[in-house]
Amino acid sequence: MLEISNLKVGYGGKIIIRDLDLRLDKGKILSVVGESGTGKTTLGLSIMGLINERAEKGIVQGKILLDGNDINRMSKEELRKLRWSRLSMVFQNVEDALNPLYSIFDQVKEPLLETTLNNEEAEGKTLNILEMVEFPIHRVKAYPHQLSMGEKQKALIAMAFIGDPEVVILDEPTSALDVISKDSITQLLKVLCKDRTALLITHDLSTAASLSDNMAVLYGGCIVELAPTSSLLSDPRHPYSRGLIRSYPDMDRAKDLQGIRGRAEFVESGCPFHPRCTQAIEICKEERPKLIMVSQLERRHSHPQQRPESSIQNRVSRYIACHRGGVIPLLEMRGLVKSFGKFRAVDSVDLTLFEGETLALVGESGAGKTTLAKTVIGLLEITDGKIYLEGKKIAENGTNLARENGFHRKVQMIFQNTRESISHRLNILEAVVEPLNIQGIGSEKDRLKAVKDVLEEAQLPSDDDFLNRYPHELSGGEAQRVVIARALILNPKLIIADEPTSSLDASVQAKLMKLLNNIQEDRGLSMLFITHNIALARKISDRIAVMQSGKIVEKGPSSRILASPLHPYTKGFINSASGLNHSKL
Amino acid sequence: MHVRLLKELRKDTFGKLGLALIAVFAISALIFPLIFRDPRSHSQVILKPPSSDHLLGTNDVGQDVWSRLVHGTRTSVLVAIGVGFLSTLISTLAGVSAGIIGGVYDKVVMRLVDALLVVPTIIILILVASYVNPGIWVLILLISLLNWQGGARIIRSQTLSLKERMHISAARTFGAGKWYIIFRHIIPDLIPILIVSFIHRARMAVFMEAGLAFIGIADPLMISWGMMIHHALKFYFLPVWKWWLLPPGIALSLLIISFVLLGYSLERIIEPRLLNA
Repeated sequence: MLEISNLKVGYGGKIIIRDLDLRLDKGKILSVVGESGTGKTTLGLSIMGLINERAEKGIVQGKILLDGNDINRMSKEELRKLRWSRLSMVFQNVEDALNPLYSIFDQVKEPLLETTLNNEEAEGKTLNILEMVEFPIHRVKAYPHQLSMGEKQKALIAMAFIGDPEVVILDEPTSALDVISKDSITQLLKVLCKDRTALLITHDLSTAASLSDNMAVLYGGCIVELAPTSSLLSDPRHPYSRGLIRSYPDMDRAKDLQGIRGRAEFVESGCPFHPRCTQAIEICKEERPKLIMVSQLERRHSHPQQRPESSIQNRVSRYIACHRGGVIPLLEMRGLVKSFGKFRAVDSVDLTLFEGETLALVGESGAGKTTLAKTVIGLLEITDGKIYLEGKKIAENGTNLARENGFHRKVQMIFQNTRESISHRLNILEAVVEPLNIQGIGSEKDRLKAVKDVLEEAQLPSDDDFLNRYPHELSGGEAQRVVIARALILNPKLIIADEPTSSLDASVQAKLMKLLNNIQEDRGLSMLFITHNIALARKISDRIAVMQSGKIVEKGPSSRILASPLHPYTKGFINSASGLNHSKL
Repeated sequence: MHVRLLKELRKDTFGKLGLALIAVFAISALIFPLIFRDPRSHSQVILKPPSSDHLLGTNDVGQDVWSRLVHGTRTSVLVAIGVGFLSTLISTLAGVSAGIIGGVYDKVVMRLVDALLVVPTIIILILVASYVNPGIWVLILLISLLNWQGGARIIRSQTLSLKERMHISAARTFGAGKWYIIFRHIIPDLIPILIVSFIHRARMAVFMEAGLAFIGIADPLMISWGMMIHHALKFYFLPVWKWWLLPPGIALSLLIISFVLLGYSLERIIEPRLLNA
């Protein structure tokens, strides 16, 4: 068992890891994931006691307890004895980790020189372990440069395991490999790590997914989320974990890849992720969040929040370091009803929309999708139920609570019929600046600048000629971009897009969808995307809710809904979805 | 729908003609009364045909007909503009408020409109006018109060359709209140209709004013074409009547025709389907 507490590591005056607490249990593999530069390898090296030696002004503070003995306080001699026999590491950078002047056999054998084994026993053991890692035995005398990447990786693994260590640190063991060799090495590691304590350091989520039991997400030298691997991957709660998973190409997910805005930079105070976080508030800049168990967090935020589907089965412990308790539910509808006379157009709808995600609401015409959107934004009066925005009630049982200015700044809508949603009397400038005029934001000059900025963001020209044009002089795609720009000018947190592309041709639609996706990445915008086109929903949404005559008949992660729809209506809907492969009947 | 009224109007012959005529009348109403002699001063020279001294001759009390005609233009144009403006204002207020507020208020206003539409307003006008012998301002007020109902009905239905338009919903989602929507969106969107309504009311007003004066129940001191016709007709047995009667008759017809032409072409521009049917 390895226990790390209060670990602080830095080189040359720069702190790489701070206040890190971690416990590795025997027989379990813990993966540490994160972008490059978040301190993953440093963590591995400090466990190996390699930091002080490597860099001059290196600091390692805190405790690293291996069965009660603090590695951090051991002398060089003690450490030397410990390494390879009780503690070993598979180094990253396959190319450099092997000495080119020694043959593989000699290098793998090297750790055994410290032991009491005689040469023959050592050679036998070396052959054994090389065989075990499926290294081609006839090539054991080869030199590193004569081998392929996969072979070198296997040699490094053999080296790490030859001393039968209790704790293994695997630093990117598969990142240099192609998928086939990756798969075989993963299988191999699974077998080798049995009954050992293993720390897997990787940026490759799929390796982490198949190898590890628990997963820690590291950012800026802090663990931001720690949970069982499967639940973390299926339901990441920290904004950074979610961003990381979103940017990972996954066979099951159809949504386009999205990165995380900004780039990793060193943060002096506050949450390390706050400059890139789209839901950061004041406190995030000032105070470093503690890694807290989620159940505690949920008691603190006591408003009704049901987690999506996956929450039901996972009652396992999960730790998050976030002042906001992880990704917040932005919009919540509880038992929402909208009726016209006796007709219930929207019938007891429960939906939650999280910060920064796209929820596609699909269904045929007349299912009540647009009515739902209009009720949420306040164009129609709610009949029954409740709507919350960021945990604040905005409408309840038949009364639309006054939607103070803040509401319109946070929620915007893109209408179905774009051209009609811009007044024909207004030129582009007047149309786009209107929300600012209504809300009374900024001076004349600020407003003009804001208009130009959003037009640029929507990839439109912002010169005077364009600003003076009228909506009827625009193409359908341009008009839609103007409407998107106008919706963005108030800097909303949520955009309700009602069939924004239904009147556009496919190529224009594709460009617009890309635009919306990028805007979402940059601004952390949540989107309620209403469409009858499930093929389109598949490409852009994180989750899908299927609506039929006013009711939500099925909701869940897009990949799950599309791969295994449960409700017969969803099945029918997916079967009749448009595709180019249908052979003629 | 995006129309630029003036630009379209320039392409339209009727419209151009109407506009030009109205301009001529307006300018003469503005300038000529300043140049030509006092229409009230009478002389011994009565019932004369045109001469160099009196361009259109004189009437029974020796007043200059041309001068009276020119001053009459001022009355007609003033009544046209006054009534056009006032009645359009009343119909806008009634129509927009009924459309926006709805409910009982809407019902009350609309029943009032129905009532006014059914009653022949000219008769009410004659009855009231014969009691008060109205001067020009009272006349404008009277005609306006009796002529807003048709416009109100059209404006209400337009408002109802406008307030469901997408761009107005969009403005609401930006947080716009009722007043913003009314003044920044609904009324500007109504402007083409308001202009047409203005022209029609103006035409009606010219006709009504002339009619009231003609039957002699307007203020007798008012100088107007209707009054000239009223007086001229008494002398139909003398050969001179044509010098006296024809000028106001022709002027009146021309002014009304110019309004008709302008109204016609504006309607065609705003709703082309209307007249092609």
